[in-house]
Amino acid sequence: MEIPVSLAKKAYKKPLAKKMYPYFFIMPFALLVLVFFILPAIATIIMSFTDLNASMKINFVGFDNFKRIFTDYSMPQILWNTVLFAVVTLVFSLFFGLFISIATQYFLKGKLTAVIYRVLWLIPSIIPAVVYVTFWKYLFDPTGDGLINKVLLLFQPDGDPISWFTKIAMAIVIIATIVSTTSGGMILLSAAISSIPEDLYKAAKVDGASEKSVITKIILPSLKWPLMYITISDLIGFVSSYFFILLLTNGGPMRDTTTLSLYAYQQAFNLKYYGYGAALSLLVVLISLILTLWLLRLFDFNEMIKPSRIED
Amino acid sequence: MSTSIAKKLLVHTYMLLFTMPIIGMIIWYFLAATFNGTTGQFTLQNFNFVKEPIEYAGVVLPAIWPIVLNTLVYSVLIVVIEIGIAVPAAYAFSRLDFKGKLAAMKFLFLMRSFPGITLIIATFFILVQMNLVNTYLGVILVAITGSLPGRVYIMKGFFDEVPWDLEWAAMVDGCSRFRALMKVLVPYVLPGIGAISVFSFLGAYGEWFLFKLFIFDDNMLTLAGYLSRLVTKENVILNYGLITAIGLFYTIPLVVFYIFTQKIFLKINMGGAKQV
Repeated sequence: MEIPVSLAKKAYKKPLAKKMYPYFFIMPFALLVLVFFILPAIATIIMSFTDLNASMKINFVGFDNFKRIFTDYSMPQILWNTVLFAVVTLVFSLFFGLFISIATQYFLKGKLTAVIYRVLWLIPSIIPAVVYVTFWKYLFDPTGDGLINKVLLLFQPDGDPISWFTKIAMAIVIIATIVSTTSGGMILLSAAISSIPEDLYKAAKVDGASEKSVITKIILPSLKWPLMYITISDLIGFVSSYFFILLLTNGGPMRDTTTLSLYAYQQAFNLKYYGYGAALSLLVVLISLILTLWLLRLFDFNEMIKPSRIED
Repeated sequence: MSTSIAKKLLVHTYMLLFTMPIIGMIIWYFLAATFNGTTGQFTLQNFNFVKEPIEYAGVVLPAIWPIVLNTLVYSVLIVVIEIGIAVPAAYAFSRLDFKGKLAAMKFLFLMRSFPGITLIIATFFILVQMNLVNTYLGVILVAITGSLPGRVYIMKGFFDEVPWDLEWAAMVDGCSRFRALMKVLVPYVLPGIGAISVFSFLGAYGEWFLFKLFIFDDNMLTLAGYLSRLVTKENVILNYGLITAIGLFYTIPLVVFYIFTQKIFLKINMGGAKQV
């Protein structure tokens, strides 16, 4: 249904009230975004050029904070932690998401067990983070009360309990994050696999295709877009969020599990170096921005916005 | 046929292996909460917090019921405000033309994948300036700003699905644009509104970080904030029984809520997968 050309071309000036109409709808949203997103963004930039600290006196110090980032002796370790945390978590949660969705949507399709597996995997992401971390704290508890130490002490009654959080803190943080983030990707991938027509599998089987070629030739190609989307959005999430780390280890021992965004948080709220914290946040923003722009290029953005089809 | 059974067994073996920690975790929560750690006896002593204020690590904790009330009030407020703001905004983005729409949409997208949390330091100062630290209003405003872009995106997807003919018909029949929205479109996108309500509620129910940061008064905490104080107080948790008991008290209503609303999640992801 197209609007006739003659009608559309007729010179018609919208009254002001109608022009303002759309803005009236987005006004509350725009106001909130202005005050709690754009304003903080500007304030972060300004703060990053000051030495604002617990004394609450603002002195502009130019690029000192940024110079400090480059000379901060813990920075190499923190950057390494950030990359390690983001990449390892991403790879494993993608792998598990892929494995579970193929297992439950292809091998066990329509079976009750498939539903049970998927529900079980959803549970860690449903459980509130503050409750979820207690399990990992218990599992790796450094005293004899922790599950792993308990089991080890069964085999070695005279051994000492191992202080897991000082030895493999990063591994614990990564495992806990993987288990709880896998389900996000799993849901998207499962939906994509379930939309593959059944006939394709049957045709492949008739032609004598092996399971391996069904997976690599039929299933994986259909997962290209969801996989790309999950990869980038999870990557941004892992680079910028630090909630699990804060709850599990608080960045410790020493700086072993401190990622860049947690470091920014600690500098600001634990040590009250607000200016330096802001400068560190800007670095996180910069990294995320690059990742997001990459995302925007991958998904043809203008396609998603359709013009209004009512003239009034 | 036997090869197929072997294959299924293999799949089950791997799946069971991977799923083991989760099964173990669920069992542990119930065991730790209901068994005395030292004597190994069944007990409901850990659940005493529902009757009286209890002590943890030498600190007397506030009674739980006012905190439950806080949680409900806070969550419902968040849901109402988010719907009230996200639905009109999504309608505008989906159906109306205005200057700067494309830029606004791009900005929205940028915001959604943008780590809003990195701005938390500056946000803190803005709240201090506005005298909103240690108030619910401050937490609510920051929380909804963070989650709104996602809600608007989901809602926009639902509005996009509504056939234009419906609106045309309503307008030909003499409805104003606003009446068409309320009478024709809103009933059509009710599932979407339901979906974002569920998301908003779950988000609000689980919010602990903003409470940790902006609320200093223990009596104003919600359940998540309350638990986060216990979990982060010491590096080693002193009393797993108590914490898992409170954790179960906090989680079980959530799981029940989730079971009743999980169909909505599936709907979203279908729409979501197509949208992005």
